[in-house]
Amino acid sequence: MQSNFRILIFFIFLTMPALGQLDDFKWQKADISYEKQIHYNKRNYSFESDNAGEFLSKSLANAYWFFISDVDGDNCPFRPTCSAFLIQSAKETNILQASLMFFDRFTRDMNIATRHDHYPRVSAGYLYDPPQNYTLNQGKIKYLPPEFIVEDE
Amino acid sequence: MTSVSKILLLLLFLWISKVNLFAQDSFDEQFNLAKKLYDEEKYFDAVTEFKRLLFFYDGDIYRYESNLLTGLSYKNGSIFSEAIQHLTLAELNSKNIDEIFIARLEIIKVNILRRTTARAFTLLDSLQNDSRFVNKIDEINYWRGWAYIFSDDWRNASSSFSAIQKDHQLSMLCDSVANDLYNPQLAKILSLVPGAGQFYTGEYVSGVISIGWNVLWGYLTINAFMEDRVLDGLLIGSLLWWRFYSGNIQNAEKFAIEKNLEKTNSALRYLQNDYKGSKP
Amino acid sequence: MRNLLIVIFLIPFSVYPQLSSFDFHSPENIKLFADHLFCEGDYLRAIEQYGLLKDHSVNDTTDFKMMLGYSKLGLYKESNKYFNGIDDKSNFYSDAYLLSLKNELLLEPKLIIASNVQSLDSIQLKSYRRITTISMLYEAELNIIREDFISPFDEDERNAVASFYDFKVDPNYKSPALAGTLSAIIPGSGKMYVGEWGDGVTALVVTSLFAFLAYDNFRTDHTTRAWIFSGLGAFFYTGNIYGSIASAQIFNAKIEFEFNDGLNLFLEQNNYFLPVYDFCK
Repeated sequence: MQSNFRILIFFIFLTMPALGQLDDFKWQKADISYEKQIHYNKRNYSFESDNAGEFLSKSLANAYWFFISDVDGDNCPFRPTCSAFLIQSAKETNILQASLMFFDRFTRDMNIATRHDHYPRVSAGYLYDPPQNYTLNQGKIKYLPPEFIVEDE
Repeated sequence: MTSVSKILLLLLFLWISKVNLFAQDSFDEQFNLAKKLYDEEKYFDAVTEFKRLLFFYDGDIYRYESNLLTGLSYKNGSIFSEAIQHLTLAELNSKNIDEIFIARLEIIKVNILRRTTARAFTLLDSLQNDSRFVNKIDEINYWRGWAYIFSDDWRNASSSFSAIQKDHQLSMLCDSVANDLYNPQLAKILSLVPGAGQFYTGEYVSGVISIGWNVLWGYLTINAFMEDRVLDGLLIGSLLWWRFYSGNIQNAEKFAIEKNLEKTNSALRYLQNDYKGSKP
Repeated sequence: MRNLLIVIFLIPFSVYPQLSSFDFHSPENIKLFADHLFCEGDYLRAIEQYGLLKDHSVNDTTDFKMMLGYSKLGLYKESNKYFNGIDDKSNFYSDAYLLSLKNELLLEPKLIIASNVQSLDSIQLKSYRRITTISMLYEAELNIIREDFISPFDEDERNAVASFYDFKVDPNYKSPALAGTLSAIIPGSGKMYVGEWGDGVTALVVTSLFAFLAYDNFRTDHTTRAWIFSGLGAFFYTGNIYGSIASAQIFNAKIEFEFNDGLNLFLEQNNYFLPVYDFCK
């Protein structure tokens, strides 16, 4: 009787991993939120930076955002915006390379004729153009086709 | 009839009823098991057991409630398309008008939650126009109010709730939200005077900076024309003054919309977490 | 009358055994329910139910359906873990083996090393050859001649397979160095070489405009403005060279993406050269 009980326990333990694994994939009760999703990004005006170049570019960007960009309307069709692109580029590379990336981005921004068919979009409709694709490191490039919609960055 | 015949008839009757009851108990047990899982919020397993019951069951006693609870399980798992499918089956298997009403109301609630409120309104209209549900008008108006809330139409939501009761709690809440919201169109019109739209939405710093830029570029543009530097005037006017002037209008509208979103989300948070009444 | 009543009384005794309590969780009923779920496409539930059958009513078909169910759910690792438990004497072992190859490709696209083909029949061997051959496309370089590569495939598949082979051998990449050099000579021409005509023309116009403004202001002795325009022009010029190199790299990433996307679509349309199993007839 005792040995049968032990065998039963043994088989229960044998079967448990197979069925317990399925629990990871079963959907659970979801937290349904009534709130509407917010698409706009709040500016990050902090001066935190890892090096002098990044600090310089962040300072310039903060000043630009505060005095100019936040009052002259929504002019940039890209996400990240050109100023945010400069900050992120400086983080990825260095201030010199980031400047070159920025001027290239500014040129592409001025191409109002063909840019709309070239880039994927974020869910808010802006053109998705991350700096990781422009670091000259082929391994970092994540190509996405124009019809792709990126989840909010 | 002889006494033996009566005894045989009685025994026959008892056997037949016991047999029926006994078989029925198994389906009842299965239904109760599934319902217990639903009550314990183990929705995936509840759906499995309801599906098991419906697969083997040929009758119609359990169909309505099994499909209803399956639909509600999917709703609680945010799988709304499956929820509506099963709630529709529940409605098709309803045995009376109360069950039809409950099933359709649950479908309306799912449409509210997934913000397909146009569909919710269509279903609410169909309930209102159905003479069988004349005495359910208060409930219909209640859920119409919720549908308006989720469509961001707080004024109409307030009207729907006040149709139930003049000083309904949700009517007063919706009124206070509606009164607190900025009017984006008004913000744009006020911005025809640079900075005024931003002041209206409480963004005073942005308004002052906007005034500053518009005054500067306006002065330089007019000065250039007055000095016959027409090209300079056109360039400054179109590239700089117009950019900051239209930007000021855009910003005022954007501030109004952003602040409205924060206010409405705050109200929705209250409704979700603190409101004690029926919710979708 | 009494005899009639006796007969009527005895009827339930014959009927009663059939109307005894219904066991939802008997192995037979679990299997029936699981089969129904599988045919409905509710694979996760079906797998869960088949799992309850452990050591009861388990057969080759059940094991294979669980493996297939995991694969259809996109749980390729779990599907292959299940394959490890399938007996090599099972009727479905060969099918399971081929399915495991598909799972491996979906988990990590790479060359499939050939092994264990003795148990495959002629049709399965054909599937095996096609899937292992196509997996060569995931290697950095192809070490097989064109004719040998396309030979395992059917006539209607050969055009597509040949185009994949040709792309792999000669992918039509653009040279970033050449793009940069062209843009250094004529601003924007590097981008035009890559196919970005709009960006190329814009770069040419902008760089030329700043160059002209710098020249014009130097000519009219507006030195400060001239130096500002020169500086901006220099940045736009070097930015355009940098951008042309980056454009060529992005172009190459794009054609690799399109190749992989096209290959994946081809494999999906052909079900990775595996037979289509229909357990629901």
